[in-house]
Amino acid sequence: MRSEVLKGHVDFLILATLRDGPLHGYGVVEKLRGASHGVFDLAEGTVYPALYRLEAAALLSSKWTTAGGRRRRVYQLTKRGRTELERERKEWKAFSLAVKAVVT
Amino acid sequence: MRAFLAELSRELEQVGIRGRLRRRILAESEDHLRSDPEALERFGSPAALANTFAAELGARASRRAAVGAFAALAFAGAVFAVSFLSGAFAGQPAPDTWPVLAQLALPVLIVAPQVSFVAGSLALVRVLRRREPVLPSSELTVICRRTGVALISGLVTMSVLALIAFELSADVAAWWVALTLIGTALATPLLLLAALPTSSAARLHPRVAGSAGDLFDDLGFRTDPWRFAGLLATGLGLLVFLAAARQGDPFEGALNGAAEALACLSGFAVFGRYLGLRH
Repeated sequence: MRSEVLKGHVDFLILATLRDGPLHGYGVVEKLRGASHGVFDLAEGTVYPALYRLEAAALLSSKWTTAGGRRRRVYQLTKRGRTELERERKEWKAFSLAVKAVVT
Repeated sequence: MRAFLAELSRELEQVGIRGRLRRRILAESEDHLRSDPEALERFGSPAALANTFAAELGARASRRAAVGAFAALAFAGAVFAVSFLSGAFAGQPAPDTWPVLAQLALPVLIVAPQVSFVAGSLALVRVLRRREPVLPSSELTVICRRTGVALISGLVTMSVLALIAFELSADVAAWWVALTLIGTALATPLLLLAALPTSSAARLHPRVAGSAGDLFDDLGFRTDPWRFAGLLATGLGLLVFLAAARQGDPFEGALNGAAEALACLSGFAVFGRYLGLRH
């Protein structure tokens, strides 16, 4: 998918990726790619700055964890992040239904 | 991978990301690249990645610094206003009878709060007007300069106010001296605390093209900057003159009004470009 199409939705997609539980940066990229069957192949150079931005906005929190002897920074939704995700999901649902009604 | 991380470290330093934040970005990047060595290309160039981090974090940091500074300045402003207004009820003598140090400090006490109020308000107006996640570097510079000048002037105001209260302690009511000293002692650490995020924000130097705009972009209309400054200075001078004339001292009012107008024009000349008031 063209990157400019994705650009406006990066934050929403990252929040949605973390809906089911905490993930590290690599996990976010992998889950986005897997869940979209490779359509959303967001570059790491886009995802990491976005994760930091979302954390600075208090929509995500993060902490170091150790798994298999490796230290990893794990991100999870905050209460505010979950509320924002729900709001964006509703908006997106209304928008996609309207687009579908027009184009099909 | 080692070369990429070393270059990323240098580039982060270049854009002003240092210390714990830089170590965290490097550790996360290293962990990611160990999990997927092929991701190296998708990280992009170290320079572009460092710049994206600085741009994303810079806008938010500058915004938070300006809002925090304005809150601290509001408290300092309240201390100044209460001390200034209550002075008349504390038996404050006429300024020309004050000790020399207090007399020397008086002009600073008149100018510094005005500079602080104008710079702090303009910083707040700018961050409320520019809410994009990424702002041009020149815009970040203007926001940080306005915030910094506002805080420094605020600190100068609190110091000078405390000095005057101390110098007048023998001639005025003890409650006024205590009120002023306690107020300035509370406001000063608040202003210093607000300076920390401002200094962190000012360290970030992303390379994002675009102009910062000027005072008239903030105000929402456009005119010749010097004509505007002249009108504003005249208006302020007139206000000071009228206030003094009403108290029966038009000569003193004319002198003070002219000094106020001159200070306003001088401020525009000195800080105009630095604070992004004019191009």
